[in-house]
Amino acid sequence: MAKHFQRKGQRLLGLDKQSWIKGFFGSNAGLSIVVLFLICLFLMIEAFRFFPAHHELLKVNRQSGQEFVDHIIDEADGYQEFVSYTNQAYFAEYDERFEKERGIKDSWGALLGEIEDNGEDQIEVLEEARDGDDPAVLEKAEAEWKAFLAELTSEVDRAEIDSFNRLEEYPEAWNDLLKSALTYDPIEEETPAFVADAIKTQEEGMKSFTEAKTEITASGRALKDLRAKLVKITAQIAEDVELDKSAADRKAAILEGAKVLEGEAREAALAEAEKIVIRDEFPYAERVKPLSESKENHEKAAAELREKLTTGIAKLPTKFQSDKAAELVAKIRNGREPYLKNLDRSVQKASEWQFDEKVGFLQSIAKFFFGSKWVTNSSWTEVYGLGPLFTGSIMISLIALFVAVPLSIGAAIYVNRLATRREQTLIKPSIEMIQAIPSIVLGFFGIMVLGEVLQDLSQRPFLSWIPGFPIQDRLNALNAGLLLGLMAVPTIFTLCEDALNNVPRAFSEASLALGASKLQTVIRVVVPSAISGILAAVLLGLGRVIGETMVVLLVAGNRIAMPAWGDGVSIITQPTHTMTGIIAQEMPEVGAGTLHYRALFLVGLVLFSISLMINVGAQKIIKRLGHAS
Amino acid sequence: MSDTLPILDSADAPHIATNETIINIDDLSFSYDLGKTNTLRNISLEIPKGKVTAFIGPSGCGKSTLLRCLNRMNDLVDTAKVTTGKINILGQDINASDVDAIELRKHVGMVFQKYNPFPKSIYENVAYGLRVQGIKNKSILDQAVEESLQKSALWSEVKDRLNDSALGLSGGQQQRLCIARTIAVKPQIVLMDEPCSALDPIATARIEELIAELQQEFTIVIVTHNMQQATRVSDRTAFFYLGELIEYADTQVIFGNPSKKQTEDYVSGRFG
Ligand SMILES: Nc1ncnc2c1ncn2[C@@H]1O[C@H](COP(=O)(O)OP(=O)(O)O)[C@@H](O)[C@H]1O
Ligand SMILES: [Mg+2]
Repeated sequence: MAKHFQRKGQRLLGLDKQSWIKGFFGSNAGLSIVVLFLICLFLMIEAFRFFPAHHELLKVNRQSGQEFVDHIIDEADGYQEFVSYTNQAYFAEYDERFEKERGIKDSWGALLGEIEDNGEDQIEVLEEARDGDDPAVLEKAEAEWKAFLAELTSEVDRAEIDSFNRLEEYPEAWNDLLKSALTYDPIEEETPAFVADAIKTQEEGMKSFTEAKTEITASGRALKDLRAKLVKITAQIAEDVELDKSAADRKAAILEGAKVLEGEAREAALAEAEKIVIRDEFPYAERVKPLSESKENHEKAAAELREKLTTGIAKLPTKFQSDKAAELVAKIRNGREPYLKNLDRSVQKASEWQFDEKVGFLQSIAKFFFGSKWVTNSSWTEVYGLGPLFTGSIMISLIALFVAVPLSIGAAIYVNRLATRREQTLIKPSIEMIQAIPSIVLGFFGIMVLGEVLQDLSQRPFLSWIPGFPIQDRLNALNAGLLLGLMAVPTIFTLCEDALNNVPRAFSEASLALGASKLQTVIRVVVPSAISGILAAVLLGLGRVIGETMVVLLVAGNRIAMPAWGDGVSIITQPTHTMTGIIAQEMPEVGAGTLHYRALFLVGLVLFSISLMINVGAQKIIKRLGHAS
Repeated sequence: MSDTLPILDSADAPHIATNETIINIDDLSFSYDLGKTNTLRNISLEIPKGKVTAFIGPSGCGKSTLLRCLNRMNDLVDTAKVTTGKINILGQDINASDVDAIELRKHVGMVFQKYNPFPKSIYENVAYGLRVQGIKNKSILDQAVEESLQKSALWSEVKDRLNDSALGLSGGQQQRLCIARTIAVKPQIVLMDEPCSALDPIATARIEELIAELQQEFTIVIVTHNMQQATRVSDRTAFFYLGELIEYADTQVIFGNPSKKQTEDYVSGRFG
């Protein structure tokens, strides 16, 4: 019988052509899944190993007393901020009220310097003449001195002496100053009454402020001293712990080296090796004793700080001529209560510190996710808290969405429903073209152009009502957010436009036929019908924004700190750092396998999870709402 | 036009029927591509007030196009253009520059081939036309919704579930809802573009009944490719072929004694 259905063609390894083709495409798909799986696995392994290592770090921090000292450092830092604000306020007010007096005082000092520098020879001659008893010589020397002064005062340039231009608007004061200089006696060194008056006026005027300033400055001195002392002790402990860890290795290395040495050198090496003690356990108990014993001192220093700071702040004046001073003092007054509360809490925690108390493993997790500090570049400690990076990323993303969502939805509605064919063919590719701008170029634009423009604009007086204006830092969250917003526009726009396109024409035709305008049709029928797609578009835009790295790295300002929530909306004009930025910035410098390295992987994993959730969420929305309509 | 068959006129005499013309199409040519080719050519036709006028003709002959000229739905096509002629509705040239298409559509409503209620509740579907006119008063809306649903013979079926989604109704109910939605705005003219083509015979019969009812209040222009339907519901019939009006007369004349050969061929089913 003839075989009708015989398979034709060659077979290779038992498979025919069709199977090979199928296998080729199948293996491509399979490969990408395997790669994805491997990446996830690698990411997770590296990231999760952070927690045990972090736990170890926290344990050492507790045992070596660093935890205790960290409290004191924080307290002292807070105090330092009060001092700095007070000083700024003091000098702002001083300048405002006693510009002339300060100008006189400082200019007098500068003028004296000028006289003494240029008149060195004359002064010497004059001195000798006065000591001698030749009246003719004396007369000549006196005359020469007078002439010198006359010449000097006639030549001197105010702008050079009065370097802050304080006397620019007080020419008569400057003239008086020069006049007094004419009678200046370099040997008596008497300050002219005119200058002395000025000094006295300002001293008296600033008296109460000076007192308050002195008291505030003095309030934390004891704490600061204590800090200096304890930091030294703890640093030494930490160093010794490190040495201890490597003791065995070092000893082995020296002994190994000694083998090839002869005579005295060998003896010395052996002696050195002998000195290295290998201990099973570091004697923490003994070493941290000075710290434990400082608890009482610490409490006392804190109590003193609390009291003096309170009285000092109470002594601050209430009326100011300088707006800046008034603003700063208000900040000081408002900041006192929360600071003191924190201080109490911190002192209590410090007092509760026990070097041998166990560190819970959960703490090493919680401290990462909820920690408000990320410190990696200090020789003193390492702190890994996601807080500032997370808030930074979220803040920038929200700013970006705030800009991008109305822009792209508006554009999508216009293009899809209102524009003519020609407008469509112009607008759509232009918006999609934004995607083609390399992010490095956008970042460059952010630094060189947008940052400048925003800062310039923010300094216009008529815009000063906007919170956060004038902008202090050119690189900040707002700047980065605006650029990311621009980057998100094509994503949101395209997806929105698709969503609007999927709304059946029949809906809008029906609406128009009922006498609705195009705009009413869009708002009442088209957008509600496309809402699931629009929401998904926004979510995917968020995903795009939160994962963006280059622009935020360049433009966000990279300051790792929790936003100062007390500043309200103006936190958006503060520099900030992000989860993506930190990885890009720090990953090249970390050693593989270190705690820092693992921390960055963990940040990466968090980012990955967020993106995943956003994508899954978007799909869910599309499914859920998509079916409903 | 001839009025040779008075039988039908007396039997179905619409209350508002007069010999008044409500739509006057005069030498209309229409193009979808800015005048390069004319989809409709030199059409002249007068549509009487208070009657049902049917447009018939083979697919693609321009019935829908002409219908959509009457409420200017063709404005949605960028390149659409009336190349010659005029359409007067209620004595006004609807393509004049001072005519607002939105106002026009409030007087000339439209029911589409495929029922297309909004993805909203039954109530909101009917109230939509009034809402876009800015009417917010609940009692006015309630009353209009009930009245329109009554008139479209849907009230008894849906009165207990006005807030349910309109998309849960059967196809025939959805189409009747679309009719209710259209008449809620109280237009003088209702255009229907093959309103039964997506429905089964029972649902079709109900719509046809409804058309007979509505005729008492509205002037109806209906496009259909179902010749029986045209004979059942319409008073006057216009036969189109390749964008031209071939013959326009009382329905009985068109189906019983057409004067043109093409009409006869078409109505006897020889082509189309
Ligand atoms: N929006 C449009 N743009 C361009 N051509 C169209 C459009 N709508 C219909 N046409 C064309 O106009 C002609 C008439 O169509 P139509 O009025 O829908 O016919 P009918 O309703 O009689 O079947 C057809 O050739 C069709 O291809
Ligand atoms: Mg049609």
